[in-house]
Amino acid sequence: MLKVKNISKQFNSIEAVKSVSFELQKSSITILAGADGAGKSTIFKIIVGLIKRDTGEIFINAEAVKPDFSNLNKVTGYMPEKFSLYPDLSVEENMNFFADIYGVEKSRRENLKSRLLEKTGMAQFRKRRAGALSGGMKQKLALSTILLSSPQLIILDEPTTGVDPLSRIEFFSIIEDLKNEGKTIIISTPYMEEAEKGDFVIFLKEGKILKNNNMLRLKQEFPAKIYKILPEKNIFDTLQEIKKNSVLKNSIFIRGKYLVFIEEDGMSFPEDIPIRNMSQVEPGLEDIFIYYERQENRNG
Amino acid sequence: MDSVIEVKNLCRKFGKFTAVNNINFNIKKGEILGFLGPNGAGKTTTIKMITGLLKISSGNVFIKGMDAVKERKKVKTITGYMSQKFSLYPTLTGLENITFFGGISGLSKAEILRKIEEIKTEIPESNLKMKIGDMPPGIKQQIALFVCLLNDPELIFLDEPTSGVDPENRRKFWEEIYRLKVRGKTLLVSTHNLDEAEYADRIIIIHKGDIILQGEPEYLKNSHNVKNIELLFKEAIENYDKT
Repeated sequence: MLKVKNISKQFNSIEAVKSVSFELQKSSITILAGADGAGKSTIFKIIVGLIKRDTGEIFINAEAVKPDFSNLNKVTGYMPEKFSLYPDLSVEENMNFFADIYGVEKSRRENLKSRLLEKTGMAQFRKRRAGALSGGMKQKLALSTILLSSPQLIILDEPTTGVDPLSRIEFFSIIEDLKNEGKTIIISTPYMEEAEKGDFVIFLKEGKILKNNNMLRLKQEFPAKIYKILPEKNIFDTLQEIKKNSVLKNSIFIRGKYLVFIEEDGMSFPEDIPIRNMSQVEPGLEDIFIYYERQENRNG
Repeated sequence: MDSVIEVKNLCRKFGKFTAVNNINFNIKKGEILGFLGPNGAGKTTTIKMITGLLKISSGNVFIKGMDAVKERKKVKTITGYMSQKFSLYPTLTGLENITFFGGISGLSKAEILRKIEEIKTEIPESNLKMKIGDMPPGIKQQIALFVCLLNDPELIFLDEPTSGVDPENRRKFWEEIYRLKVRGKTLLVSTHNLDEAEYADRIIIIHKGDIILQGEPEYLKNSHNVKNIELLFKEAIENYDKT
């Protein structure tokens, strides 16, 4: 549905985006996961035409995006990190304003508006000022406004950052519904574990793609094993003891009561460390990210 | 008695609205407590009452046996607080921030200089001379924690400590937290990142002013037969709202 090919962007001496390529399939959710400063927002802004790319190409439905982005704007809904809502207008007035901008005909406006506010659970707050909404509700209203243009492609820049967990859970259930209606969705997040909500995940680090895969395959093809270990002695002292062995220095972490060990080829947990038990666990997305990040560092 | 924080029948009302509804909990010395809940659940209100920033409607908070209201000043000298998005001054350098906050914490010039020497062993000087606003999130966070620890607090409050930080630095950060724990510090971590809650010794989920679930994360996951804290959280809130 969307194809991004070798896009790059440099700001003065900083290479913000380094030859990034990916494709989005119709009716899917892709999560673009990376820390602050990884280049997530820049990539999105390049796609929607807010920042000019230095090199690369973008195709939408197999058609090259024209320099004026006319064919892109018609099909894309973009929600920036700081939602653009008018705090002094009510929920309903914000919806009307954006409906005007998107040129939604009056005849179908009321119906569409009601349906969207119903879908996002905002119908009961129609009269409330946007400025008086909680973070989670603002996020849902912002999503409702971009859905007014009936976009095929929905680009959401860190919609869940700083939003409380309950709102996040609700938000992703709305996103799931949108996907089932045939929308193509890409969402950026700084929380690695949130990538779990996607059908596809793209890990981004310093402007470069570390890994891009289907969620199931990402886990199946993960070459390392993850173990959860309960040591005999104090967990912190045990970790310091293990860290003297430089090979394992970066492969073991504390996680609550347990040590987590990312076992790569040719590594093993030191036999002289007394443990109570050790069991293999499914890799978390953060473990997977760290693994590929290391690999990238090793390959220079 | 080894409880550093004791919260007893704590209530806070704003007019007719009950923000915190008669809650009780303890935090032991050397414990890491994860404090979770939706927005408006009463998390911040509770923390503000514990730290003496907000008046208590009824109930008591004792910090190391001292009444948090009556002995507010004393309590303050043993508490450290690191706020969400690290409230450092973005236009000042790392070193300037440390000097500034050191002064506020009542450190002498000599002590501040000693502290600066200390941090130089962990963060390269070239990074410390950067403006906070230009720093990568990982280093900013390291400095924020350092600043929070300037007066060597026994009790440490961390609000969303790793938001936006990359996984590698996040794990390093948590290793620091465990180092503090081993040194006998007591930590209360308030977070929206449910995955992070698994780092805590114990979690408390607060919703609509009530504590709806508490315990060791691993035990809670097993006993509720869920694979992560997010599912646990969702279930606890749904069950509460049903009744």
